[in-house]
Amino acid sequence: MKLRSVKLTIIGFGEIGRGVARVLLKKRGFIERNYGVDLDVIAICEIDGSIIDENGIDLGETLRLVEDKKLKKHKNWSSMRALDVIKKVKSDIVLELTPSNIENGQPGLKHIKESLRRGMHVVTSNKAPLALKFSELQKIAYSNKVKLKYEATVGGALPIINLRRHALQINKIESIHGILNGTSNYILTKMAEEGVTMDVALREAQGVGIAEADPEYDIKGIDTGAKVAILANSLMDMGVSFRDIEITGIEDITPEAIELAKKHNCVIKLIGDVNRLEVSPRLVPVNHPLNVSGALNAIMIHADVARNITVVGHGAGGIETASSLFSDILSILG
Amino acid sequence: MKLQLKDVPGSLLRALEPVSIHGGNIIGVLHSRGEEELVSVQMSFEIKDQAALDLIKGDLKKQNIRVSEILLEGKRYYSKKTLSFILIGHVIDTDMRDTVDRLNEIGLVSDMDVVMPSPEKKSSVMMNVDVDDKRVKRLNRLINEICKEKNFLLIRSLEG
Repeated sequence: MKLRSVKLTIIGFGEIGRGVARVLLKKRGFIERNYGVDLDVIAICEIDGSIIDENGIDLGETLRLVEDKKLKKHKNWSSMRALDVIKKVKSDIVLELTPSNIENGQPGLKHIKESLRRGMHVVTSNKAPLALKFSELQKIAYSNKVKLKYEATVGGALPIINLRRHALQINKIESIHGILNGTSNYILTKMAEEGVTMDVALREAQGVGIAEADPEYDIKGIDTGAKVAILANSLMDMGVSFRDIEITGIEDITPEAIELAKKHNCVIKLIGDVNRLEVSPRLVPVNHPLNVSGALNAIMIHADVARNITVVGHGAGGIETASSLFSDILSILG
Repeated sequence: MKLQLKDVPGSLLRALEPVSIHGGNIIGVLHSRGEEELVSVQMSFEIKDQAALDLIKGDLKKQNIRVSEILLEGKRYYSKKTLSFILIGHVIDTDMRDTVDRLNEIGLVSDMDVVMPSPEKKSSVMMNVDVDDKRVKRLNRLINEICKEKNFLLIRSLEG
């Protein structure tokens, strides 16, 4: 069988970008057999330069270099920035995997816009551009006849946007509640299970690599808020922006409040409530499907025909998030 | 119980059936037929408990029979809902009596659990407030208002 060549550009080679490379190395044969496609990564962009090889980058070698912190030693390394790579290298799909910046969505926003305008499909895990400029980006994609896919922006590996699109078409979504941030869930779980303070639980989360050195986005509910905005737009057509979301984080929750909740057969969880456009700590009964522990994410959809559906899984991690990214890539390949 | 029935044969019988099915003892039925399409019916009955009343209401709803009012022992009956929430802040020092009195104006504070680790630290208070179904929104607005005014962190229940 003659394989169709599909070229990828990866922007951002952090944990998620590397996860994509690892999964592609592992699943290349599967994609060839089932989709008749030869997926080649022809450009990888980092903050200070890029690797470009029109014949396909050797991902194994690149992963070894990046693990040794020697990416710049790659024979094709140049100081070309991502935006210039988008302008000069024509690929079929651009994976925009840079970190979220909720202030202005940059640099992801300009990467996505430029890629779409140049007729390249975009698959992204970057929440901020979608949370801030959802309709504008959709319009650019539509007018350039390309696709913008973003399953990985909400809930890591959890299939939620594609679940609605491909399995719940007949349904009207009436409400969505979710635990959309693994770090805050890990901290609240530790506080409940071990009776420790927020500071101790946070340090523990940082120790095991679940929380970032600067956990503000997670603890203050900003990350959850961005995801609420994306879900409101993509699943409920609410036409909102991140700035419309009312956000209360978990930073002021006391161990006493956690104990009180426990005494009344409840737990405290940071909940993204899409109908109310709100992020806030809420009391959840212990036997409720949203009572998931550790760094897990859970999303409960109430739909008019299917009624309640809850999806639970890993909301972060390079390999896990790659699952959602490949779901989008493969749906573009058809 | 005051009902609005369609003026068609058999509708009164359909309205009475759920009462007898669920063990109610019908005491009287007042049937006032006007010129409108709907007929006002007031039926008085005895039932053993609220669960039976809920079943009757459910059956009437299934038949699209509109219940306009329910009086229980002469007083307006309401479907009670309990809102549970936790307040974190200086709940005691910011006039707790005032907080409870204001909540009682709309609902009824039926349970309260207070933990105050030390006077200078924030306390955590779990409250249950019973409220008429129709006044839930008003109560939620008041809770938000109190929290803003007294600088409390509010942890509402998932359903609240």
